[in-house]
Amino acid sequence: MPRPEPNFISFEIDGREVRAPEGSMLVDAAKLGDVEIPVFCYEPKLGAPVGACRMCLVEIEGIPKLQTGCSTPVKDGMVVVTHSERVRQAQNAVVEFLLVNHPLDCPVCDKGGECPLQDISYGWGAGRSRFIEPKRHFKKPLELSPMVAIDRERCIICFRCVRFSQEISEDYQLVFLERGDHSYVGTHDGAPYVGPFSGNIIDLCPVGALTSTAYRFRARPWDIEGAGSVCTLCPSQCNLSFTVRDDDKVLRAVARDNHDVDDGWLCDKGRFGYQAIHSPERITEPMVSDGGALRPVPWERALSEAAAGLRKAGAGAAALAGGQTTNEEGFLLARLMREVLGSPHVDSRAGGPLDPAQARALARPELTAAVPDIDYAEAILILDTELVEEMPILDLRVRKAKRRHGAKVVVATSRPGALDSIADAVVRFAPGASEAVLYALIKALEEEPELAVEVGGVRKPDPRHGEARRDQGGLPDGDPAQVRAEPDEHPHREGVLESIPVIGGLAHRLADAVHPRGEDRPAADRAASRRGELDDHAERAGAQASDLRDAAAILLAAASPVVLWGERVGHGPRGTRALQALLALADRLPIAATDGAGLIEVPEGTNARGLREVGCLPNLGPGLRDASSAGLGASEIPAAVGQQVTALLLLGSDPVRTHPDRAAWEGALERSGFVVAFASFLDETLEEHADVIFPAESYAEREGTVTHPDGRLQRLHQAIGHPGDVRPAWSVLAELAHGIDAEFPLYSSAAQVSAELGGAVPFYEGITLERIGGKGMRWPARAAAAVLPPSEISGAELETPPDPPAGMRLGVVPSLWSGPETRHAAVLSFLAPRQRAELSAEDARRLGIAPGDEVEVRAGDALVRATARLRDGLPVGSVFLVQGTDEQSATALTNGVVPVVEVSKA
Amino acid sequence: MSGNVVRLLEHLDEPGLAEIDTYERLGGYRALRKALFEMDSESILAELKGSGLRGRGGAGFSMGMKAGFMPQGTMDKYLCCNADESEPGTFNNRVLMQRNPHLLIEGIVIGAVAAGANKAFIYIRGEYELQAGILERAVAEAYDKGFLGEDILGSEHSVSLVVHRGAGAYICGEESALLDSLEGKRGNPRLKPPFPANRGLYQGPTLINNVETLCNVPAIITNGADWFKQLGTEKSAGTKVVSVSGSVQRPGNYEVVLGTPVREIIYGLAGGPPEGRTVKAFFPGGSSAPVLTGDDLDLTYDFETMAEAGSMLGSGAIIVIDDSQPLVPLALRLAQFYRHESCGKCTPCREGTNWTVKMLERIDAGEATPMDLEIMAQVQTNIIGNCLCVLGDSMAMPIGSMIAKFRDEFERHIEQARERNEAALAEPLGAGELAASGFSGPA
Repeated sequence: MPRPEPNFISFEIDGREVRAPEGSMLVDAAKLGDVEIPVFCYEPKLGAPVGACRMCLVEIEGIPKLQTGCSTPVKDGMVVVTHSERVRQAQNAVVEFLLVNHPLDCPVCDKGGECPLQDISYGWGAGRSRFIEPKRHFKKPLELSPMVAIDRERCIICFRCVRFSQEISEDYQLVFLERGDHSYVGTHDGAPYVGPFSGNIIDLCPVGALTSTAYRFRARPWDIEGAGSVCTLCPSQCNLSFTVRDDDKVLRAVARDNHDVDDGWLCDKGRFGYQAIHSPERITEPMVSDGGALRPVPWERALSEAAAGLRKAGAGAAALAGGQTTNEEGFLLARLMREVLGSPHVDSRAGGPLDPAQARALARPELTAAVPDIDYAEAILILDTELVEEMPILDLRVRKAKRRHGAKVVVATSRPGALDSIADAVVRFAPGASEAVLYALIKALEEEPELAVEVGGVRKPDPRHGEARRDQGGLPDGDPAQVRAEPDEHPHREGVLESIPVIGGLAHRLADAVHPRGEDRPAADRAASRRGELDDHAERAGAQASDLRDAAAILLAAASPVVLWGERVGHGPRGTRALQALLALADRLPIAATDGAGLIEVPEGTNARGLREVGCLPNLGPGLRDASSAGLGASEIPAAVGQQVTALLLLGSDPVRTHPDRAAWEGALERSGFVVAFASFLDETLEEHADVIFPAESYAEREGTVTHPDGRLQRLHQAIGHPGDVRPAWSVLAELAHGIDAEFPLYSSAAQVSAELGGAVPFYEGITLERIGGKGMRWPARAAAAVLPPSEISGAELETPPDPPAGMRLGVVPSLWSGPETRHAAVLSFLAPRQRAELSAEDARRLGIAPGDEVEVRAGDALVRATARLRDGLPVGSVFLVQGTDEQSATALTNGVVPVVEVSKA
Repeated sequence: MSGNVVRLLEHLDEPGLAEIDTYERLGGYRALRKALFEMDSESILAELKGSGLRGRGGAGFSMGMKAGFMPQGTMDKYLCCNADESEPGTFNNRVLMQRNPHLLIEGIVIGAVAAGANKAFIYIRGEYELQAGILERAVAEAYDKGFLGEDILGSEHSVSLVVHRGAGAYICGEESALLDSLEGKRGNPRLKPPFPANRGLYQGPTLINNVETLCNVPAIITNGADWFKQLGTEKSAGTKVVSVSGSVQRPGNYEVVLGTPVREIIYGLAGGPPEGRTVKAFFPGGSSAPVLTGDDLDLTYDFETMAEAGSMLGSGAIIVIDDSQPLVPLALRLAQFYRHESCGKCTPCREGTNWTVKMLERIDAGEATPMDLEIMAQVQTNIIGNCLCVLGDSMAMPIGSMIAKFRDEFERHIEQARERNEAALAEPLGAGELAASGFSGPA
């Protein structure tokens, strides 16, 4: 889908000449001339206007009736009047009508003071109501969900919340019931409105009809201040604004629209997770273990004990950085470990090592898509990730691309997911078989184009055109950056149909690459043998060859594919192979040569990309350079504890909960001579094993930067003061380092550390906090990105993946609601995941398991108990467990490799 | 020429007309053969345009032009016959569908061929159960005989036809709400543009026509545009089936030449009000048309004259009110109808119809003052032209016109109702009422 290029025209509004993009709606174009046209129902984020509220009526020269400015595209030479007597009368009328059934209970309404209905009534209303009849009454307030209260008397039926449910989150739960002035918003059968994005309707509501149960009656707008920052509860890194009272309390989080990141939406975890900040259970003072029990101590004591323990361990210390660690904290941690303690053992990944060359290849700007690229991608491949659980805001983005721009969606996952229902092709494969499925997909792409099945209106490429255009638009041999410089060669600039000749060319090139021309074997034979091969490859992945062909046909026909891939693709002993296959897929598509195409990783940790880039991996230093000496990674540390490793430093990391091989980590913490942890909440593990605990900052208290998976550096602003004795982690890390080595500088602010990042990470050069500002800055889009050395990954032949293991394979289900933020946020706690074992009906029958049965899932000695659930569409021979539950987490069974498990009735 | 004729209602009393054999015996489906084999879509369109046939559903837009708006191309295109006849006082489509369903089907197929549509629907109001059944049987017959389906009568034209029953909402007669309802959604009007000819049913190009409009098509094809124009006025060609109801002695459907004086329809055909009464007011085009008064009886019944008089031909339903009938209860009943039927999507209609009902109730209950009349008039002004679709106007225009033309009567009603009220309050309570009120009297 080509991006629209705005063409500016000029029109007249209230006597002023204004230039605006052609086709933009009048209400938006008017703003460019400093004219405000009042609206209620209009919200461009929700898609096409509905023209329901009638607030935006304006007079347009040459049109007899008043027109709605929200739905009238501006044209060159248009003459618009928003202040005539006629318009004023219509505006007065609409305000008066809206207030007919509105209770005007502003003094007790949460929205009072920040209410569009109030503002517009004052600004555009007649200032009086002639309505003296009884108003309609509803019981109020009612719980629409545990998070949202609904007051139907205040509702002005603007359709925003219903449109959100129907057209953005596509959960189809909210509807209008009844008719006319009896209309009200509700759900079928009055069921609670529960979905991962339900809280957005609170922001959308232009009156006080939908209010946050967590915020109700907590403050008036004059009591509060907004503090813009970034949510670090998941890799989406949505921009938000904390509502702060008295400088020390977060009362609310609202979306802070950033089209390049979140499109103006928040998930419910991001919206309500702030409640955990003020949990009474939070650790707010440093503690040390004294005679087997943790006890609060002054900072000096905690710091000196930690410094002493770490100094003693020296090169035997190992550190883990949690996903929410900022770039600054990660950078200091790596320096503390490498420079001060002389230990190379520092890691921020849970799922095993990452090959340095692959890390550099995956970071390459030409391979990285930006989030808005999803909007106009012609095809989106979702590979081994469940977006709604792992990077929820991208789930909305994919839906938008499909709904508004007709993107083709290909879902390649082991478990049926939320996006299956909108997918044009679904490739289901065995858990852990991402290498095999990528390999099979590449083989499907390499099939003759004639084999490509027509799917969902995708046109079969015409090979004749391909011949003609082969040398113009195919795969560039040289530096992709050079190809980009020549605008005529951009396949993505053309529409879908026009671009097909280029794709035809590509497909032929691919065919040629596999079977060089001149080979005499008849084409039909070749095709037939390859068809058989594809079946084998598909079988190895536990997938269907026909699904792979459908997916390949869609990807081949798309000029600008975007691949959203889950970090777990690269996990396990064959992770490096799988990533090689991913890079090969990118090469085949071809992603590097195409603007608007690219990969976006869906990592496990919020700031996984940033931590990687500032040197928080055992084999990578700052700037993705090879570390001088490679250390042990998270998967190797447990085994080394007690021998090579004698002390553990956990910076916001909870390996027992988040890392594979729970038992190994429990053992490691048990054996470790010394454990220092930055933590917000105590749990049994910390109580038993921690020697020093530093109270961790919450994300609302933190200063620093994080890097979005698409390479955008974003800035966290401190919104509230630190509760109790909490100190910033950057300062504690620097003090620790200074305490061990007096040469180490004591920074006076996080900004000082940020300033050093530019020097340490070459491609961050010149990115200052000021430049990052409120909207962030993508380093891959800057000239400084050129310092990243060219990819060393060669186009070596991929190795055929091994046959899959026999037996039941364990897949994991990530959960958005895992982690302490859910548990400690009052309105979210009911969402905390509980363990369940999902099985296909066939497997359940074979094992004699009925839904609801308690089952045991075993791998060797490890055991997880769960309640059995049947799920349609699960690959036969697999069982899925939730990852990140507090009890009985799937991590008890996985040791980085997808294991074969036994399932039986308990 | 003016007065009563039979064109559309021809053969209406023929037994078995609803069966395809009878219909064919009387010359039915010949127009379709002509359209399929002697004409192409362009010449059909030209004939329709040339005939001056205007939409009979209410808006009176040229059918030929509307069909001509359909884009060229090979995508699925739709024709929807609007048979959601719900306008109070209107029952002319009903008789056509009930007695002569094949005439409609023939008109639909020809219309579809002209518009290049391959999928057609009849959206019929849910209450027309009898007529829906008759249509369904007729459609099955037409399929059997090859007048519907693939390659009709061996031609290259294919048209499918489905009879879809509405669920009883007036708003679904509004064309875009009809489309939403047909798609299985809540019937709410859509924002226009885009117009249905560009993006209608399932986002495809869609032509929407009223039953009577389509019933006119076969005869135009058979006899030509000039024949059609022989009757009627310059701007209102042809005949119109008028539903006459209210205070008349012979209510019913009458087919009249457009341009016939209203007096001739009300008095000549429908027999006028009962002995001793005179026409106080009448709705010329369904209950949503602004009322005209007894002084307007000599106007001619056609699109342009009704528009000039400040009203409209609308659905072609004349509702007569005589001098013995009070207007306030009528206005209240009318407003209640539109309030009940408002979909609630846009503000002025949703709240304006509700407000108007409440004010009229107050007037009727003797709790209003003449000032309320002024507010009510302004509320109507504030609705008109400001809504998403025409439903709001459909209440505001007749109510507004009643207040404007019969203000004295409204004021008198207010006064009398107040007096009645005050008298009732002054009257001492009877013993029974005292007991009911819980007053037990001195111990």
